[in-house]
Amino acid sequence: MYGNLVLRPDEIPNWGKKIEEEDPEKLAEFEARIARGEKIEPWDWMPFEYRRQLIRMIEQHAHSEIIGALPEGTWITRAPNFRRKLALMAKVQDEVGHAQLLYSAAETLGKSREAMINDLLSGKSKYSNIFNYPAKTWADTAIIAWLVDAGAIINQTTNSKGSYGPYVRALERICWEESFHLKYGYDSVVYLATGTPKQRAMLQDALNRWWRPIMHFFGPPDTQSVHTEKLVRWKVKLATNDEMRQQFLDMYVPKIWELGLTIPDPILHKDPETGRWVYSDPNWEEFWQVINGKGPCNAERLAVRRFAEANGRWVREALKSPQARYVMPLA
Amino acid sequence: MASLDPRIRRAEPALWNVELPPLLPLDQWQTYEVFVVRTRGSHAQHVGSLHAPDPELALVLAKEQYARRSTCVALWVVPTDAIHRTASEEEDLFQPATDKSYREPQGYLTTRERLEKYRHRLQSC
Amino acid sequence: MLETLEILLLSLADDDLILGHRHAEWIGLGPILEEDIAFASIGQDEIGHAQAYYQLLTDLGLPTPDEYAFKRPAERFRCAHLVELPNTDYDYAQALMRHFLYDAAEQVRLQALRQSRYEPLAGLAERLLREEKYHWLHARTWVEKLGHSTEEAYLRLKSAYHLLWPYAWLLFEELPQEAAMVEAGWLPPNAELRSRWLELITPILAGIGFEVGPPASEVLLPLQGARHGLRSPHFEALLAEMTEVSASEPEAEW
Repeated sequence: MYGNLVLRPDEIPNWGKKIEEEDPEKLAEFEARIARGEKIEPWDWMPFEYRRQLIRMIEQHAHSEIIGALPEGTWITRAPNFRRKLALMAKVQDEVGHAQLLYSAAETLGKSREAMINDLLSGKSKYSNIFNYPAKTWADTAIIAWLVDAGAIINQTTNSKGSYGPYVRALERICWEESFHLKYGYDSVVYLATGTPKQRAMLQDALNRWWRPIMHFFGPPDTQSVHTEKLVRWKVKLATNDEMRQQFLDMYVPKIWELGLTIPDPILHKDPETGRWVYSDPNWEEFWQVINGKGPCNAERLAVRRFAEANGRWVREALKSPQARYVMPLA
Repeated sequence: MASLDPRIRRAEPALWNVELPPLLPLDQWQTYEVFVVRTRGSHAQHVGSLHAPDPELALVLAKEQYARRSTCVALWVVPTDAIHRTASEEEDLFQPATDKSYREPQGYLTTRERLEKYRHRLQSC
Repeated sequence: MLETLEILLLSLADDDLILGHRHAEWIGLGPILEEDIAFASIGQDEIGHAQAYYQLLTDLGLPTPDEYAFKRPAERFRCAHLVELPNTDYDYAQALMRHFLYDAAEQVRLQALRQSRYEPLAGLAERLLREEKYHWLHARTWVEKLGHSTEEAYLRLKSAYHLLWPYAWLLFEELPQEAAMVEAGWLPPNAELRSRWLELITPILAGIGFEVGPPASEVLLPLQGARHGLRSPHFEALLAEMTEVSASEPEAEW
């Protein structure tokens, strides 16, 4: 009765199979389990396509956290007082911690952390576009911590209702920590909004620059993005990009207006009939350009990651144990 | 473009000339499973995994990744490959096929009823 | 006496603040995610400790922690030069060795301060030691492991040790008005603290094969004076960076 808890990726029996090649009985059992609201765990049978989609998604999420530590990291050494300095350090530390949790969750599906880092550095796998924009002033950190983290919470809370156990558990902890980021961000924004004219101007300027990337944050409009019914049935994709964007606008536009800030979109309003927000085209062409490496900071972000990995290499090399054998963690 | 981050600027220009061959397997070390004992008297609970080169550093590193906010009284780490478990297809091992209420306290809810009935019979004699 | 107390507390606080600031430069750039997180916590702790020391002065009617850290001219800082040194080339061996030498000193210093006759300081030392226990465990574990690993790690640690050693020695440079502090029972003489520190680190360093002994006086001489307000060439840029935002709008709250 004792199964091998631990698997090496090369021991996964249906690795690489197309969905129509999968064992129909096992597939039906797997789908029935998800339909009953049960979670899938690393040691369960799962169709390769489910595994592949989750690896892609969790891996991108992990990359976004570790790269996301960089724009805010810009201001760590310049934070204006003790409280902000400590909070910013703790927040950026959390982002690194989230990357650690997410890489572990993705590893349970059979892709090693080394392979994920290699794919990040070679540009093969992507991360959230928003981190390819520069944080030019202190107010940028406030806007990021408030609004970008608010977007992240919407996204992550949605995904935390998904079907894959390790990802869901990681997201529960992540959402809890992000709620500190959101409060910290809002507090920082409120201090700027209620501060001197120079502080207010700085904040408005930051909002102007970040608004478009924030609109891009949830991904292209539903009309342009392909998501199969299968991913919805498997509880990998739980809400559409537009649904999440609308939820964000609903929750945060009133709060931004309350601070007397101007959102740089003259037509932004909620249609009283449909109950949906109407907004200008946030330039989806730019979105695709940035994804394909042409954003203002893509090169720097990857160069910094490459530098950090290369620089720490001797430390990892020094303590490598010759007896170690790689198995997929459980997370 | 020079970085806006003074920390990064200090790494330039070397930053732009880093040669890094692809990381090899185990570059990031092996993994350990982490367990937290929240209070004295409670069971250790699995909370996740981490990469470390040996058990001592696994504990040192787990302390900040898994206990920097929550208070606890102890941490355990176990090499992932030391864990064994029952097979996934054998989940039904844990489902009883027949009534096993005889070994549960809830299986003995009618005792009082029996006694009441007896007393009722005595009175009506 | 208030002036004397300020000298003592500022030297303790400034060491922690500036080292915490240097540690913070590593966040997101560490050798592996798990260690990045651990080191970020240690940096936060150091800055938190600085804040707590400044607060003891604030409680006596002196400036607030933010004023001390963000509004004080460079020449009024009293930190040791060890903590001011830049993270040259982001060499983690240097970061770890500095952390090791410094947190060993913290062990010794705080153990002694628990007995301080200035009670607020004794109480604070007692509390800070709880977090310092982890710093010391972290530092010692890393230095011992790396010291007994590859040739490269050994050589990197060794050159970091040689670079940092005279600066670390001067963590225990005599404070201005130290005699009065010792007389008041606030702390033991720094010379005594230094020998306790050597007792703590010598077995570990010798175990890796590093020689431990007093630096030559011609090496020490030009590095002295930190506790009197003499800053190293690295400090001005550090302070300008640290205060860039707060100085951009001095009257503002952030």
